[in-house]
Amino acid sequence: MGFLIKCERRNDFGKNAARRLRREQMIPAVLYGKKEENVPLSINKKDIFNILKSETAENTIFKLDFDAGKKDVMFRELQKDPVTDEILHADLIQIAMDKPIQISVPVLTVGEAVGVKAEGGFLDFITREVELECLPKDIPDHIQIDISSLHIGQSLKVEDLDLPQVVSLISEPNVILVNVEAPHKEEEVVVEEEEEIIGEEEEPEVIKKEKEEAAEKEKSVEE
Amino acid sequence: MLMPKKVKYRKQQRGRMRGKALRGSTLNFGEYGLQAMEPCWMTSRQIEAGRIAITRHAKRKGKLWIRVFPWKPVTKKPTEVRMGKGKGDPEFWVDVIKPGRIIYEMEGVTEDVAREAMRLASHKLPVRTRFISRESRELR
Repeated sequence: MGFLIKCERRNDFGKNAARRLRREQMIPAVLYGKKEENVPLSINKKDIFNILKSETAENTIFKLDFDAGKKDVMFRELQKDPVTDEILHADLIQIAMDKPIQISVPVLTVGEAVGVKAEGGFLDFITREVELECLPKDIPDHIQIDISSLHIGQSLKVEDLDLPQVVSLISEPNVILVNVEAPHKEEEVVVEEEEEIIGEEEEPEVIKKEKEEAAEKEKSVEE
Repeated sequence: MLMPKKVKYRKQQRGRMRGKALRGSTLNFGEYGLQAMEPCWMTSRQIEAGRIAITRHAKRKGKLWIRVFPWKPVTKKPTEVRMGKGKGDPEFWVDVIKPGRIIYEMEGVTEDVAREAMRLASHKLPVRTRFISRESRELR
């Protein structure tokens, strides 16, 4: 789905102006790329939400309409408040529709692994996103991986992904995506825990500079 | 108990706890996490107590990540000692926690188990916390 977003050039800068914007449900943003000058913008929060709620989420390419015309852009980075989760700022990058771009796409698992279902293991989802290169029009929403045949101790790597022909892989092929791990043995862990609690605390070693160490050695020799 | 193996200096100044967590505020490993909502000095004992509460409730299933580490030594003078004569000796270790910091992450258990385990752990910690999951984060 193509999004067209109207926005305005931003003339006031600094945290006071940015806070004023945010109070009016606008988000300060900056547009760069294609070796053109950076353009400070303000975008309506609702428009950003609509894009993020779409299937391609942060990888969505949309059109930005402001005084310099309509431009194809995508999010490069979204700054969020760690406590309130509010979007604070958006970095937008201009996209050339005929040139391939590098993006990270989420990996989704399909099915339930045999190792989890029947053998009592648990699934460790190690790598949740893979780096791909493709033309902007070919960006996949996500990449599915079937984990139903995995037993305990088995894993799937990036090279096992079924990628569409139009995309090429950038991530290392031997990176592990999903791993089915064996359940922990109870006894071993209990002993370890008790030892930790009983064990006396010693002070950590202080890292000394070479000069200090040499001076100490000299002192001990003199004595 | 968690503490560094080597340190450059035995004692540190206290410092301030201003602002929010700039790093360590997103889920990086697991599916579920416990996030601090207030600043504090979290001691190695509190971190360990939380960890034990989580592993006991999860019955050692799944995987747990501890995202904080007590790097900071706290000194204390012995009781009934007059002021002066230098700074006291290191007594315990803390991590400076700022609002938004993820303390624990979990994976390989159901959401109900993770939620209850994190609730139990949160009672061992000196701050208000919230349970977060990868899917629960709403747009604001």
